[in-house]
Amino acid sequence: MKLIVNGDEQVLENVKVLSDLVTVYKLDDKLVVAEVDGQVIDRSEWGGFSISEGMTIELVHFVGGG
Amino acid sequence: MSDLFKIAGIELNSRLFLGTGRYRNAEDQNAAIEASQTDVLTFAVRRVNLNEPNEDAILQHIDRTRFQFLPNTSGARTAEEAVRIARLVRATGLSDWIKVEICANDKTLMPDPIETLKATEQLVKEGFTVLPYTSDDPILCQHLEEVGASAVMPGASPIGTGLGILNPYNLSIIIEDANVPIIVDAGIGSAKDVVEAMELGVDGILLNTAVAEAEDPAKMATAMKLAVEAGRQSYLAGRIQKRRYASASSGTTGYVE
Repeated sequence: MKLIVNGDEQVLENVKVLSDLVTVYKLDDKLVVAEVDGQVIDRSEWGGFSISEGMTIELVHFVGGG
Repeated sequence: MSDLFKIAGIELNSRLFLGTGRYRNAEDQNAAIEASQTDVLTFAVRRVNLNEPNEDAILQHIDRTRFQFLPNTSGARTAEEAVRIARLVRATGLSDWIKVEICANDKTLMPDPIETLKATEQLVKEGFTVLPYTSDDPILCQHLEEVGASAVMPGASPIGTGLGILNPYNLSIIIEDANVPIIVDAGIGSAKDVVEAMELGVDGILLNTAVAEAEDPAKMATAMKLAVEAGRQSYLAGRIQKRRYASASSGTTGYVE
């Protein structure tokens, strides 16, 4: 399945729900926020949120800043 | 005498807000945070580097229970982008405070006044506690207050320059007219600039580079903490008028002749 993740095209297998994608990138225990096609998806909904071909996904976190 | 400092009903012990960018390493950063005795830390939001998921994320080194977090919307060039970042921040559950920071010019990083006002208004409507970073324009600062900013944060000079307060007269007018806390954000170079701002009557200081890039960040953080306190006390104490000519401190009668 082709997805746009953080601006890059990714071809990923075995990704059915958002939590699968987070696991692929080993981000399960990180303070990460997910946005799918412009909508923020609450962490509590990741397990039930279906991923489909062509979705645009952003995975963001906090970095140092002023 | 009590000198409470509250933003959006939250009482803060320190009037110094500290940024978390540009430190040489996590040890320097933690030492600076400790030394500053700040209650409020700022952050930015960026994409995770998917090739390096274990790359240092800032919050790994910071006790999340001790601080009020003030994430910023840096990287946003429009109100719409800033609102998007704020919503992402809120989804972390860490904070509903947001520093609106919208810069459309990479050379000056001057805040875009129109987009900043739009984003502030929208985010207030969405229930955020909004602290906009703005230029030191008194009318703009008033408008930001009117649309519901919990504090207004004019820059002293452009971000990261360390040029100090370029327009103390504007800053004084902003303070006089404000009904919400005024925090000087950006452009502070050293403790002297902090004292100057606090003596003008600003309620607090947000700084980052001046500490992070100092030769000894922890020592500079201590200096900034003391400068905030010294400047505040000096402001409350009420300084003497400047005089053109000398005025003897022991009086002019009873000279030994």
